[in-house]
Amino acid sequence: MHLTREEERILRGEEGWARAKALEVIVRVGEALGAERLVEIKHAHVSGVSYENIGEEGLKFIEDLAESGARFKVPASVNPVSFDVDEGGLPGLWQASRVEAEKQARILKALSSMGARLTLTCTPYYETALRDLALRVGDSVAWGESSAVAYANSVLGLRTNREGGPIALLAGIAGRTYYYGMHVEEERRSRVAYEIDWVVEDEAEAGVLGSIIAERHEDSRPPMLRGRVSGEGALRELLASLGVAGDIPMIYLPGVSPEPEPQALERVERVSRREVEEKLEELSPPDSVDVVYLGCPHLSLGELDRLARELEERGGARARVILTASPETYNLARARGLIDKLERYGARIARGTCLVVSPFWKLGLSVATNSFKAYFYLKRRGVRAYLARTRDLLSLVVSK
Amino acid sequence: MTPRVFKGRPVVPGRSEGEALVVDSISFYGDVDPSTGRLYDGRSVAGRIVVAGRSRGSTVGPYVLYSLKQKGLEPRAILLASRSDSVLVAGAVLAEVILVDELPRGILEVSDGARVVVERDGTVIVFS
Repeated sequence: MHLTREEERILRGEEGWARAKALEVIVRVGEALGAERLVEIKHAHVSGVSYENIGEEGLKFIEDLAESGARFKVPASVNPVSFDVDEGGLPGLWQASRVEAEKQARILKALSSMGARLTLTCTPYYETALRDLALRVGDSVAWGESSAVAYANSVLGLRTNREGGPIALLAGIAGRTYYYGMHVEEERRSRVAYEIDWVVEDEAEAGVLGSIIAERHEDSRPPMLRGRVSGEGALRELLASLGVAGDIPMIYLPGVSPEPEPQALERVERVSRREVEEKLEELSPPDSVDVVYLGCPHLSLGELDRLARELEERGGARARVILTASPETYNLARARGLIDKLERYGARIARGTCLVVSPFWKLGLSVATNSFKAYFYLKRRGVRAYLARTRDLLSLVVSK
Repeated sequence: MTPRVFKGRPVVPGRSEGEALVVDSISFYGDVDPSTGRLYDGRSVAGRIVVAGRSRGSTVGPYVLYSLKQKGLEPRAILLASRSDSVLVAGAVLAEVILVDELPRGILEVSDGARVVVERDGTVIVFS
């Protein structure tokens, strides 16, 4: 691999052992993939920060890294953890043990000491700190959360591969990642498009559409969608579902993606409305469920506002409603009186976590959600999980 | 018996030798007990040359490999008959374990416990 003089200097340890080691990992991974050089990144989003997930070994690694003097070279944010750290659990459902709470706090402290912002969210793109960076179309970043990766590439025009495990963390410390895959302009240009002849506005419908595309798509380049997905929630769910069924880091969305439209399409396939509706029907909930869940990936402020209004119109929730959002979004919503209103109508809001990464699956409760991603992973853990359109979920909430 | 020679791609290069531990596939998260280095079947990866058909990438795997290294329970080398995934490469670098991939599938016929020499250029010599 071609390295710049500065990169060689870092590898020799002139910016400390930790940065040298981090860069060595990035170089070796890049070489294994066949990358010819590295690319500087402007931001890192680190996944795998939950004690529940990475355990004692992950905790030790992150603490060792911090103690060895590692520091992020670029601004960094972190993914959700397995419980609401302010509440010490999942509000009203589950309480973390003291040991779990302590270990989680140690992981977060180490990350914070290295300079990461403890955003605890899978939607770093809603955070004001990221918006303040004013990243531009074509900028490279290293993000480690599949739904955020798809959002970054497809909506923001940022360039990132799905950087799993410790790679986003180490890229953030090295300030660079390998120039490969989604960082390469040519590799981003779609060759296969999927055409729909209706406008997708519902979150669950968008997720099912994404899962169908991900299952069918075999080309190494990103797929393109010919058609429209409208609304922030539907867009986010479409992108989140791509990483579930097929590990797809991007989809070109006309009118949304800021890059030029792909010119050299080799094939256009149709996805029929009926196919989406049949799949949605298969996954639909019974007349009542224990929990209704929205917020995988995390809800935006606008969506919390909409949900507060919807619940108010329906006169409150009779089923248990759990919403998840980032701590920052939660605080902004609280300042606007939205949290009080949502709670008054029966919803509980958990910050910096979600049902998928929490021990919710151990509770034996059934759940209906509008998120294909949440449905998929909860189902896989043995939860009686169902998928429903947002309006049907809200009816479910008050149907008893 | 004449030694058999295989040529692979040195991803994390180095020279080592030891006894082979042959498995169909390996994921350091799930397959290996991080406190003992033992596999589900009781065999230990510690100080062995792990020979695997493929790696099953787990994002937690690198932490387990790193933890084994801290305890001196890491394998001497990992030899794969397929392409390594990026997360395994990260783990091997962090734990300073030699990694050679894209070896011919014939390497999987090596018997457990056979003496294996790994050269810096990705050449693997098996004595059995």
